[in-house]
This record gives sequence, structure tokens and C-alpha cells, in this order.
Amino acid sequence: MIPAGSLLAASGLRKAYGLTTALDGADFSIHPGEVVAVMGPSGSGKSTLLHCLAGILRPDAGTVRYDGRDLSALSDAERSALRRSEFGFVFQFGQLVPELTCLENAALPLRLTGTKRKDAEATALRWLEHLEVADVRHHRPGQISGGQQQRVAVARSLVTTPRVIFADEPTGALDSLNGERVLELLTKAARETRAAVVLVTHEARVAAYSDREVVVRDGRARDMAGVHGAA
Amino acid sequence: MARPEPTTGPDSPGTDSTGPDSPKPDRPRPTGPTGPAAWARDLAMGARFAVTGGRESLLRTALVAIGVGLGVALLAIAASVPHLSAAREHRENARSVNDEGNSRSIKASDRTLLYQAVTTDFHDKPVEGALLRPEGPLAPLPPGVSAMPAPGEMVVSPALDDLLRSADGKLLRERFPYRVAGVIGEAGVMGPDELFYYAGSDRIRPDAPHGPGIHDATVRIDRFGHEEGGDPVSPVLVVLMNMTCVVLLLPIGIFIATAVRAGGERRDRRLAALRLVGTDIRATRRIASGEALCGALLGLVVGAGVFLVLRDFASGITIRDVAVSPADLVPSPALAALIAVAVPAVAVLVTLITLRRVTIEPLGVMRHTAPRRRRLWWRLLIPAAGLALLLPLFGGVTMDPYAGDASTYQVAGGGILVLVGIAALLPWLLEAGVARFRGGPVSWQLATRRIESNPGPAARAVGGITVAMAGAIAIQMLFAGVQGEFVEDLPTHSQMMGVYRGSTPAEARSYTNSFRATQGVRDALVSVEQFAHKSDRPATGFTGVTVGDCDTLRRLARLDSCRDGDVFIADAPDRSAELLPGTALSMEDRPYERDGRKPRTYEWTIPASARTVQAVEDPLGRYHRGVLATPSTIDVAALPDPSTEVAIQLEPGNLEAVERVRNTAASIDPLMRVHRMGGVRKESNYAMIQQALLVGTGLLLALIGAGLAATTLEQLRERRRLMSTLAALGARRTSVVGSVLWQTAIPVALGTALAVAGGLGLGWVMLKVVNGTVRDWLGFLPVVGVGVGMIALVTTLSLPAVHHMTRPNGLRTE
Repeated sequence: MIPAGSLLAASGLRKAYGLTTALDGADFSIHPGEVVAVMGPSGSGKSTLLHCLAGILRPDAGTVRYDGRDLSALSDAERSALRRSEFGFVFQFGQLVPELTCLENAALPLRLTGTKRKDAEATALRWLEHLEVADVRHHRPGQISGGQQQRVAVARSLVTTPRVIFADEPTGALDSLNGERVLELLTKAARETRAAVVLVTHEARVAAYSDREVVVRDGRARDMAGVHGAA
Repeated sequence: MARPEPTTGPDSPGTDSTGPDSPKPDRPRPTGPTGPAAWARDLAMGARFAVTGGRESLLRTALVAIGVGLGVALLAIAASVPHLSAAREHRENARSVNDEGNSRSIKASDRTLLYQAVTTDFHDKPVEGALLRPEGPLAPLPPGVSAMPAPGEMVVSPALDDLLRSADGKLLRERFPYRVAGVIGEAGVMGPDELFYYAGSDRIRPDAPHGPGIHDATVRIDRFGHEEGGDPVSPVLVVLMNMTCVVLLLPIGIFIATAVRAGGERRDRRLAALRLVGTDIRATRRIASGEALCGALLGLVVGAGVFLVLRDFASGITIRDVAVSPADLVPSPALAALIAVAVPAVAVLVTLITLRRVTIEPLGVMRHTAPRRRRLWWRLLIPAAGLALLLPLFGGVTMDPYAGDASTYQVAGGGILVLVGIAALLPWLLEAGVARFRGGPVSWQLATRRIESNPGPAARAVGGITVAMAGAIAIQMLFAGVQGEFVEDLPTHSQMMGVYRGSTPAEARSYTNSFRATQGVRDALVSVEQFAHKSDRPATGFTGVTVGDCDTLRRLARLDSCRDGDVFIADAPDRSAELLPGTALSMEDRPYERDGRKPRTYEWTIPASARTVQAVEDPLGRYHRGVLATPSTIDVAALPDPSTEVAIQLEPGNLEAVERVRNTAASIDPLMRVHRMGGVRKESNYAMIQQALLVGTGLLLALIGAGLAATTLEQLRERRRLMSTLAALGARRTSVVGSVLWQTAIPVALGTALAVAGGLGLGWVMLKVVNGTVRDWLGFLPVVGVGVGMIALVTTLSLPAVHHMTRPNGLRTE
């Protein structure tokens, strides 16, 4: 049953890699502007859930609906276009293109949508300023710290003003101080733009930045709102 | 004395100091082995990682082994050339006979044999052999022959035996009125497809005269085996050979140096993990060397296997019209040992040089990719040094084989330095080139930035083919520039000619009739010729004297009337008369036929009654200018050096007629050989070098193609996660694939431009060295087309892998 008003919702997701079951009937939903922390131990299926929600993986069974559309029914090109224009991504290690400058990295999603380089870089610069890393815009990822790299990655996820941001362990490679600053900036920026955030983490302190927690265990997602009370 | 190393390696016992059994402070801390023992231990550990480090390690080792193996196989082929040449020469010498003057001093006995070399052609392939007439029961047997063929019998090479038994050989069977009594063994044939025979004869005589067209007279021998001196090789051909070797071997070296770097990034990450558990930097280098050494040694094994497989295809290669025997393709022991030592040494050396650019720390690998621009000056010094070696040789190498030293090492050294310089310039050109590329679509930006940040892999990927293309362009220019000296373009395929020893006019008439009666012959003319000069001008005033009946002479000139006793002076339409009635002519035999005798001379004066007539074309389109005499005017028997010239015109395209004419010639005399005209006739050494270049370039391109495919796939694997990230961000497949293609196309374009410039420059310089001229500045286009086509093919073949690796679900590997 998909909750009313959901921007992105999944029901009965199943996904197996060979003999290993990663998701076994997982349900999930998120509303516009909501920050949901997906928690669980290593190997519980958190990242697989995120990849299915983002249309990166096709689930073996179950449905993912975004804004009323069934992602499974979309072609690869349509799902790519969706990721380009509607979704943003932050990964654990930033995953920046090492050869591009920070400004070019942040501008990359806009350039992929066909925006002219100058316009894309102007927008990216504003986001880099917002995330307090404008001073390293001409540096390459290898020349800056991990925390700065992750802020550039957050800026990259926001330049297209996405409606959903998928963050997979965004602070996993950072110290606590840097991690918290990144989370602050990410959630603040998301709330300003009314973007929903799917925040995959196994750290409780990270979950504190969320409106709601979903725990994945043995391939099943359990909404903790009913356990702790409404968010 | 070796200093003990502070940290020894992953097996070091020094890491247990916090445990309950930690050594007492006053007890000496155990250290690992030092010096050679440390080397041995770390090399062994590296080798163990190479083969037992899981799927990734095995894949890397396999890539190195296959790459090195392919290079080693080609080097082994190159190392086999000396033995191949020596084995063929040995067999050729073993069956040769001494046909020089001293053979005439041998007296007839029961140990002697009369020998007459004889050659014909079948489908434009020479069929060589000899007529044998033993003078006693102890006459020597040719190599590979177990019993002397009796008159009317022949022993044949295996290939000739097959041909004679086949339907294709029907026309050749008609030429040989002999029964096949046996097959010549391996010791008596040059190669598996050689057409060779010995036929028994009871007609050849020791005093059979020499004559034009018969390369050897009948000689008496008491043994087989004679060292042929061989013709000296033109210095220009030596230059061609040197450059061909350089062009073929240098890219193999580059390829091997590139192959041993396969999977380097993954290896560096593994070394970082070893650093974390206490391995010091020197030990990591030794371990990396061990891995490289293991890959190279496996490469030697793979190379030996590939060589053995390729060897079986050797019979597809022909040298001087005879296929190479696989058994002759054996690497020279010294060169094989050099390969076995040099290849692993190169592997270790390259690994150590590569690691100099990397700092492997316990927490990761730091690449020295800081913007330290590549320097141009020393890269320019290398080709400049090459040119400095070549420039003094300008005009110094001539076609004259007796002109002396061709400065072999200087030419080869200069060529090597120029080509190495091109390889050294490529990374600089790539870096400087892409730094100027701005703007463009995302795929272009990704590719140019990737190359700009680290042009090394891109330069290595196309370095081999750049050098190969540059070398091939230079060689191609050199070949084209000197081609005229070694290649003769013949006018048509439907004409045949032969030169035979002297005949009487009546015999010539009968030969003409025989040829005219042969199926497929349109026109034929056999005439008796004698070379002459004006008696008062021995050094100049040369002319020809043709003796024939009126029918024959009418075919050579416009005669109003003719009867025996007439003499004519024939001139070509565009030439004025040079001979006049009453001119005294001297006719002599050729100096090399005299064996120290005084020249035989026949003096003759053109009768006052001789009439000047206009020559017409003979069946070969030639004009017989000079004297045309009827039989009664000249004593043909007294002519010192008459020759019988055969000119035949065939029905165009009738290949059977060619063989029928040869059969007719053989029925007249096995020693009469008629050649088919037309096509291109090449000097044999020139043809051999050109073929070596063709075969070598083919193998080299296959090698480079395989290497390029492996390099491309390896780079894709290294960047798999990044490409998956881009796909997850929503990048179109075309953008990601486009960036991969640009990453190949940009280095290829710049490498090709460098190869063209360098190749044309080197070709021009080499032509200046051999006094040649550039005949075709655009002759490089086919070379570039083949090179670029090969790269396009490899890139196309790698596209499925690119598609596979650019799926966003590649992120799952995290």
C-alpha cells in the first residue's frame, strides 16, 4: 500500500545476487522535502534499496513509483534522464572525476542535461559557495581533503535542483566534525529546495539529521515512525 | 657490509611486540634476511602474489604473460633468421657443383659424373634440376637421392612429385619424358614447395658448348658440394635491410615494455596494503619486481608456445620463390639466450622506473601527477642525435655492391634514434596538445582532461603503432625511391622470349615452325643473332647481325624482294642509317667464355650490294636494327658467339599456351628456356626484404592490435567505478562511450600526425643517404589507413565491453 502524497514509493521489492538475497519484500516511501534515514547493519541491503529506488538497479519483483510513474516501466534512457534531471547523488567516497576541477565536477550534471558550460559553471559556483568550498574550485579532487571532496559532491548533487537526493553513506569516509558539517549543509540545502533526501547510513548520529528512520534488516525495510512515534 | 634493513616485510616477526611473547628489551630484535637473501625472498613473494593473488592477480599476470609472449614469439622468429638462412645455404651448397674452370681438370673415371643444370618454369614458378650421366658405378649421388636415376628416369622433390601427380601438373608432365623413380629427401631440397628434380641422361657430353641462356655448361664432377660465393649485396639493400629490422623490432620492444605495466594501478594498491603491515619501500619494489619477473617468465613460456604454433605456418612464407621449411625456423642459441635474459630484465627495469613515479604509502598510493610539465629539450635531443648520425652519410651509399662499407651500424643507429625520439616525443605532444583543447561536449572534456592529467597510458597505448607507422612510412618511401633500381616493369603478359645457344638458320626455321604450330601461339619468330662492332671502332659502333632465310627476314623488315645471297641494313623508323655497305665488322665471343684463350674473331664486311630497309616490330615489339643476312652470305658455323633468339606472341590471357610453349621448347632441347614477359620482375634480395617487411608488418600489426585491445580493456576496468558513477548520475551512454572513444581517438590522431611527420622526415633523410629521390609524397596514406583502420577495429571490438562497464549497476561492486 503506497502512502498518499508520496513522491517516491516502493512496495514488495525483491532483489537477489545469485544465491544471496539482498531485498526480500522491502517497502519504502518518502514525501517531498522529507529526509529519511535508511539504517541497518552492513550487508543488510541498504545500498541495494537505494539503487532500486534511484532506478540504478531493476528489482526482481515489486514496484518503484516516482511521482506516479512506475520506474520499472521506463526504458534505460528514460531512467537515465530521470536521474539526470530529477535526482541527485552523493556517494561515500565522493566519486568525483579525478581529472576535472571541482567546479567542473559540480557542473557536470548540468552539462549532462545540455546546459552551456558557462551557465553550468556559474550555477555550480553558487552551490560551491553555499557549501563553503568555492576557494578550491580550480583544484582537482586529488588536491583537496576528503571533507572538501564530499562537499563538492553534495554541490554536484544539488546543481540540478533535484526533487530527490540519494546519499549513500555520505559521511562514511569522514571524521565526525567534517561528517556533521557535510550533513548540516546537505540537509539544510535540501530543505531550502524542498528536495527529499534518502540518507543511507549505519551511524545513529547521522540519522539524527533525518525526519524519519527506516531500518533494513534481512532484506526487509521497517519504518521506525511507528516505533518511536511520528517524526 | 650490508646494513640491516629497519623493516623487513609482511612476514617480519617484528609486529608482535605487543603480544605476551614480545621480546625482552635486552634481547636483539630479530631481523629478516638482507642483501641477496632479501631480494630472493621478496622476488619469490612477488611471484607468489602474481599467481596466487586471486582472480584479479591472475588476470593481470595473464595479461602480462600474453603480451610479453606475443612479443617474445616475434623476437624468436627474428632470432631464427640466421639459422634459417644458414640451413638453406648449407643445403644449397651441399647440392651445388663446381662449374668453374678447375672442374675441367677432373679426368673421367668410375667416380665421376656429368652434370648439366637445367631450368624451366611452370606457372611462373621456376622448376630447377639437373641432367645426370654417371661415368662409373661409384659416381657421387646428389644429397637426398638414394639411387642414381637411369636414362629416362627422374627423381623429384616432394612438391614436384605432388604437382606431377595432380591434374594441375598435366602440362608439366608432358614436358618431362621421364618416369619418376623416386623422391628426393629433405637434405636435397631447399623448402617444402620447391620444384626440383634430377633426370638421368645418356646424351649430355662433357664438351657441350656454353651458350647464352644456358647458365651452366655440362661439367664433370667427382663430388657434390660447393661453396657459392654469392653476389655481393648492394649497400642500398643493406640500408633497406637495416631499416626493416629496426622498424620491425623497435615496436616489439615498446610493446613488451608496455605489456609488463599491465594492471599497474591494482598492483600499487596491493603494495600499499603490504606497506600497512610493515613492508618498507625497497621491499615493495622488490616484490613488484618479483611480480613482473613472474609475468615475464610466464611470457617467455607463452612466447615459446606461440612461436611453435606460428612456426607451422612458416611454409606460407617464400624466400627466393621457395617456401620456408618450419624445421629451419630455429632461434639462434645466442639470440634465444639474449631474449631469455633481456625480456625479464626489461620487465624488472620498467617496473622499477614506473614505481619511481609513485609513492606507495600505507594508506594509499600517491601518484606524482603534480603539474610538472614534460620537458621537450631532451626528447628532441634523441632524434637530433639520430640525424647527426645520418646526415654525414648523405649521398654516401651507392647502388654499387663493390663500393664498400654501407656504414651499417651508423644507418641502423640513426634510424633507431629517430624512431625512439618519435616515441619519446609522443607523451609531450599529447600533453601539450590536449592542454590547448578547450570547450566541447562533456565526452570531449572528460577525455581531454583524462589525457592531460596523465598522458602516459595514452602515449603507451599508441606508442607502438606510432613508431611502427613512422618506420613503415620511412621504409615505404625508401622502397619507392629506390624501386627503379631493383624492379623492372615488363610490358605485357602475353609475350615470351628465350635466348638459346647458336643454331643454323635451318634449325631456327624449324624451331619457328614448331612454335607457330603450338596451340595458343599467335606469332613466333626464331632467329640467329651475333653481336658485332665496326672493325675500326672496337669500343663503339656496336650492332647486331641477324642471319635467317627470307621468310624470317621479311618478318623483321620491309623487304621489296629477297633471295638467298641478299644482305640488308635495317634501321628503325626514327633512326638514321649508321651502317653503310662496305663497312668492316668484327664479331667476337664474350670475354668470360674464353677461359684465358685469345678471343675468337670473325671478320666480315657488309657487301656493297646491301640495301637499306626499314625495320618492323618483331613479335615482342622490338626492332632488329643492324645487319640482316641470308644464310649463304655468312658462315654461321664460323660465328664465334651466335645465339638463337626466340620471340613469341600468345593469345592474351591463355595461360595454358604459356606452358605449351615451354613444352615445345623442352621438346627441342631441355636446355632451351623461354620466359614469360610481363608483370614486375624484382631483384631477388629486394623482393626478399620487401616480403620480410610485409610479413613482419602484418605480424606486428596483429601484435599491436592485440596489445591495444588489452590496454583499452585494462583502462576500462580501472575506470569502471567512475563510469558507473557517471551512468548513475544520468549521463547518457553516448557521453560515456564517447569519452572512451575520444580517449583513443585523440592520441591516435596526434600519434598519426607525429608518425607521418617523423616518417616522412626519416624517409627523406634515408633517401638522401642512398642518393634516391622522393617519388611519392602521399605514398604514406595506405600505411596510415591500415594503422588507423586497425585501431578503429580494436576500438569497435571493445565497444561491447564499454557498454557493459557503463551500466550504473556497476556501483554494486562497492
